[in-house]
Amino acid sequence: MRSALSDALVSLGKKNPNILLLTGDHGYALFDDFRRECPKQYINAGIAEQNMVGVAAGLARSGFRPIVYGLSAFIPIRVLEQIKLDVAHDHLPIIFIGDGAGFVYSHLGTSHQSTEDIACSRSIPNLSVYSPADRFELTQCLTMAYKDNSAVYLRIGKADRGDVHQSLPNIKSGRLIKVKTAKKIKYSFIATGSMVRTAIDVADKLHDIDVWSAPFIKPIDRSMVEKICHNSEAVVVFEEHSKFGGLGSLIAEIASESSPVKILYVAVNNRFSQKCGTYEYLLQEHGLDFSTVYKKVCNFLKSM
Amino acid sequence: MKFDPKKLRKTVLDMAYAGSTVHIGCAFSIIELLSVLYKNHLRYPNNDPFNKDRDYFLLSKGHGVMAQYACMRELGWLCDDDFLNYFSNGSDLKGLSDSRIPGIEVTSGSLGHGFSVGAGLAMGAKLHKTGQKTYVLVGDGEINEGPIWEGALFAAHHELDNFMVIVDENGFQAMGSTRDIMELGSIQSKFESFGFDAITVDGHDEMAINKAIIGLWKGNKKTPKALIAKTVKGKGVDFMEHDNSWHYTRLNQESYKQAILSINGGNT
Repeated sequence: MRSALSDALVSLGKKNPNILLLTGDHGYALFDDFRRECPKQYINAGIAEQNMVGVAAGLARSGFRPIVYGLSAFIPIRVLEQIKLDVAHDHLPIIFIGDGAGFVYSHLGTSHQSTEDIACSRSIPNLSVYSPADRFELTQCLTMAYKDNSAVYLRIGKADRGDVHQSLPNIKSGRLIKVKTAKKIKYSFIATGSMVRTAIDVADKLHDIDVWSAPFIKPIDRSMVEKICHNSEAVVVFEEHSKFGGLGSLIAEIASESSPVKILYVAVNNRFSQKCGTYEYLLQEHGLDFSTVYKKVCNFLKSM
Repeated sequence: MKFDPKKLRKTVLDMAYAGSTVHIGCAFSIIELLSVLYKNHLRYPNNDPFNKDRDYFLLSKGHGVMAQYACMRELGWLCDDDFLNYFSNGSDLKGLSDSRIPGIEVTSGSLGHGFSVGAGLAMGAKLHKTGQKTYVLVGDGEINEGPIWEGALFAAHHELDNFMVIVDENGFQAMGSTRDIMELGSIQSKFESFGFDAITVDGHDEMAINKAIIGLWKGNKKTPKALIAKTVKGKGVDFMEHDNSWHYTRLNQESYKQAILSINGGNT
């Protein structure tokens, strides 16, 4: 996924010399190709994220197309007000890439973990929120973010959980993508980012479940979500993000208006990480590892 | 005469009285600064606030926006109705600067934003080699904000010699004097230590302001500029000067009359 990101950035940079890549001193080795191919379009703005976003706003006003990179704990969380006032308020075309979302930096602790970024960003007007699941979705999301010509937050989580698609899916803005089709639909799983893989793995052990990937948190195709909820006896939403304000909340908001359905939230509870450990260890700590999720989902479906 | 400080202050008073609003003192401290900038320095080809070759003026201390509205009236960008109807329901002009008003570049009020956006505009102008200049006016209270100093490092590192920050050093912020709340020391020395060419002037002496701005642009290549303007909060109305309560006090009929009288040179 990271080489797909690098390739997509290089491709955009070479296509449009007005693309400027700004980083807050993050992305070690990630930008080697970009710096080699587009050396004049790379700005390391230092460890000063708030200024970086303001500068990006000024550059966008001057006709440039900034892409602002940082860890999702900082972009968008630390700079939320700059995104709101300096960028989104004025419809400026800036792509914010928040890398390492969720528990990617499992050993580093809470400062580098980010489970509130979707909730915070999706309430900002004029800001789109994309959350790709694999390298194919990432490439498409970045290309679409560029074509959108508006402010987009691109959330990148755990990058090496394997592809969920065989090839570039035919993505349309706002649409969910089916990644597993049941012969007979009883339940639906909707997942985003790193948890799409988990959702597929759980569904593989059960029956009658459609699995959908939601790379677009905002805007999202509401009628598609309504239809999925309407056709299902129950829905499970998977995300490596707080259960407050993320994809699960979004699905519930839509369903409650027109297609009420029982929803199980597989998400991060109201807690910070307590311990240090591998990514898998932290997933266990938060009850998001495969076996805990599998048991939770089985119990939920049995109760239906 | 356009941009006459007395006239600008009267416009601010009319507006503040019509809208029954606050932030009079911090508008009055920047009147001469804005007068000199609009009269002598800011280039707006065809008097068009959107002209792509314009210089950029960013009022980062959005609380002083009534002073900018008064200048925009002189330019014909705002009309009398905008002032008479200030703060009426459905009107456009807000109590803090809003970028959707033609002539206002950034939305401010949350402080410490305009500096960085201005640095980005200056960088954009340098990359495109347009020759545009960027002026950012910040308050002395505003420079409590961290992003100002992030931006100062950035502007100096990238040699943004088309960028000028103007600090309205009126010695007060919302709740009291800057000395009591957060001692600033020498603002000029601070910017100099960050790599700026900096100079301090009397912020109500138009000739001195003008000379300082010209001097800064003629100075070193490759360094951003800082103009530190020593000002008086509430300047121009005797009973408002140095009285920080006019950050939050609204005019009534009597105080409005007295303020106009004071501007006209009468004793109150």
